[in-house]
Order: sequence, then C-alpha cells, then structure tokens
Amino acid sequence: MTTAALTAGLERIPDQLGYLVISSEDGVLASAGELENDEHTAGVMMQMVRTASRFRLSGSPDVPFKRLSVILDDFVYTVTVSGHKVFVVKRQHNQQEPVNV
Amino acid sequence: MGCCYSSEDKPTEEEEEPLIQPNNIVSKSPNGTERNPPNVPTARTDEQALLTSILTKTAQNIIDVSAADQPMMEPHEYMDRARQYSTKLAVLGSSLPPKKALTLPSLTSQPHQVLSSDLVPYSDVQQRSSVLLTCNRTFQGKCTTSQMFIQKQ
Repeated sequence: MTTAALTAGLERIPDQLGYLVISSEDGVLASAGELENDEHTAGVMMQMVRTASRFRLSGSPDVPFKRLSVILDDFVYTVTVSGHKVFVVKRQHNQQEPVNV
Repeated sequence: MGCCYSSEDKPTEEEEEPLIQPNNIVSKSPNGTERNPPNVPTARTDEQALLTSILTKTAQNIIDVSAADQPMMEPHEYMDRARQYSTKLAVLGSSLPPKKALTLPSLTSQPHQVLSSDLVPYSDVQQRSSVLLTCNRTFQGKCTTSQMFIQKQ
C-alpha cells in the first residue's frame, strides 16, 4: 500500500489534529498536522504499543485489543497496528473533563 | 674548503684524499675507543660523527610506509576476494540464531475504521478514576490525569 493510500483515510478522521504512520524498521513513514515530524512522540507511541502488545488475557494467545487510546486532558492519541505499521492519530478530546485527582 | 695549489705541483696522496669519506659511519675499534679516519681534522670528524648519529637515529625511528611491499591486486582478484568474503558472511549469518522478531502483531486490517470510531466514553473514564486514585496513593501523588485505555472493541 502506498503512503498516500495509508494517509488518505487518516486525514478524514473526525476531529483529527495530526497523525503518524510508523514502521518498526524504517521509522516514521508519514506525519501531518500537530504530529508532523514528531519523532519523539512516534518513539513513545511505539514503545507503548509494543508493551501493550505483550498483554494476553488468560487462555488466549492473541493480542486482546485493537486500539490503544492515550487520553490526556485536551486530546487523545489513538493507536493501532496494521500490516506491520503503527498508526497514531491525535484527536480532539471534546468530552467532559475527567475528574482531576 | 679545499686548498690552492699549483698545477705544476704534483698532488700528494694526502691532497687527493676526499674530505668526506664514502663510508662516513664512525667505526669503533674493538676496545670501544673512537678511531678517526687518518688525516682528517678532529673537529670535522666529530661534527661528521654527530651528524651521522643523528641521521642514523632518525632513520631508525621513521617508518616509511611507502617503501612497504604492498601486493597490487588485479580487479578480478579483488572481485573474487569480495565474493569469498560475502559467501563466508552469508554462511556465518545463517548459522547465527535468528534475531528475535521485533515486528508487532497486526491488530486490524481496517486501521482507518478503528481509529475513526468513537473515543472512549466519559463514563468509562470516570469508572477508571478509582484506579488512578490507587495509583496516586501508591506513587505518592505523582500520577496525572492522563489515563491509558486499551479497548478490545
């Protein structure tokens, strides 16, 4: 799949503020918006999704999730893996603020 | 510097002898004492000996790489050798244990759909705030309001 095909769908995601497409071997393949050239965030997201991918529910060999969401005050990072590529989308968090502790 | 003499005079053996000897390394007699070449002034001999010793020491300390005998390789020899090395590397590479797979498992074939679906409901966020409270107690208030959710969907 070409980079343009990979990113075309990401740009249409509602409330998206930016995105990253990352390859574990080649690094950042594409980036845009607030995540443009953000290699630091790319590295952090890669580490997070690698760690999360090690989780297993008891009795199941499969990874128990499809999407990883990192929820911050004003925005959310949503992360998934497809075809050996990691997709990260930063989306506006319009919901009511969580309880501050 | 030389000496003046009449061409009518027959040069003596001493006058014909060159001032700078061809073998100008000072030779020592077996008993260790310096032996001056015959009929050369002492001062000149000392100076020559000093210069010679400096030259000898310098020559000993210098490594002349240009004089090293380097084998020149023909292009075909070079290619053959490169091929041999590549083959050896390939053999060694195959005998090494396989690198641990660093590729991530694919979670979905529809990444755009998964990423564009609804975000985590606020109610779920609230429900998990108790986890955050526990985290704060454990780590002495160092947790922030950031939370990580893993959605099975």
